[in-house]
Amino acid sequence: MSAAEVAAALAGVAGQSSQSYGLWCVDVPAAAWQHTVQAARDDHGLSYLDWLSGVDELADGFSIVAHVVDPDTVLHVLLRTRVPRDEPRLPSVASVHSGASWHERETAEMYGVTFDGHPDPAPLLLPEEFEGHPLRKDFVLASRVVKAWPGMKEPGESDATASRGRRRIRAPGVPEPAEWGFEARGG
Amino acid sequence: MAEERRSTAKTALARGLALTLRTLVQRTGIRQYPDILPALPPRSRGVIALFEENCTVCMVCARECPDWCIYIDSHTETVLASTEGGRDRQRNVLDRFAIDFALCMYCGICVEMCPFDALFWSPEFEYSEYDLTELTHEKDRLREWMWTVPPPAAHDPLAEQPRL
Repeated sequence: MSAAEVAAALAGVAGQSSQSYGLWCVDVPAAAWQHTVQAARDDHGLSYLDWLSGVDELADGFSIVAHVVDPDTVLHVLLRTRVPRDEPRLPSVASVHSGASWHERETAEMYGVTFDGHPDPAPLLLPEEFEGHPLRKDFVLASRVVKAWPGMKEPGESDATASRGRRRIRAPGVPEPAEWGFEARGG
Repeated sequence: MAEERRSTAKTALARGLALTLRTLVQRTGIRQYPDILPALPPRSRGVIALFEENCTVCMVCARECPDWCIYIDSHTETVLASTEGGRDRQRNVLDRFAIDFALCMYCGICVEMCPFDALFWSPEFEYSEYDLTELTHEKDRLREWMWTVPPPAAHDPLAEQPRL
């Protein structure tokens, strides 16, 4: 069976398969996620879970992506599903692939996606008290707010002579101090 | 059982020694770096040099830098009119140009973006320091790197020749 046929079989009726950069991808609804991963392992020999991660799709929610491989034939497909942004929940596939456990813990802390039925849902890399989900696109890097942007100065200006009143150019992706950080929280 | 194990051990030993022997007579790829300098590929990214004379303090590099590691200070000077009835002009003068190579990720966006060809890649790489702060090269040091910038590659013989 070719990767295209495996992808089509895995997509079934609810999902769809497509080729992207030479790799066959299977998009399934979140309800069919666990079943698809299980079917890939049991029915198609894709028994090696290479990795599992997420993608922040902004208003479209989060994609959860898993790359599964047949270790004998090196046939591989990408399994994808989508969870809504306001309630990112997905059944855990740690019961199918034990190796998915750490990947799901990392995806959970980085994107704020809850994996239902995970055996040990503690954060993997971040400290317990960490606030926010660093790989979400709306997450602001603290170091970008703490440090002054060197590009804020206009030609002909230096730190000493910079005028305060004018509206200044802002670094892309960094919010105003009043919108984020200690000032915004009234600290 | 024991006999079988012994013969397996013997084969393994012979195979291991054969491998050792083969490696022994093979040419090594190791170059003793401080004594023998590596042959660097063309366009290697060692350090960024500043051709200060070309810099107009437009701030493009500092704004494009994804690592925020280029620091520029400047002031404006008035150039008096050189002709009768001419107008005085304003000119930006560079006071400080520094690249923090501790932060730099060698992406080369500043070199690409510079509209006045004031930044260049130099293949020099031997500027490690014991102190992290020493890796911030100020404009004098960046200007010195300019002497190590190789001449640009010759045009392809079949390419359209540049107009002079």
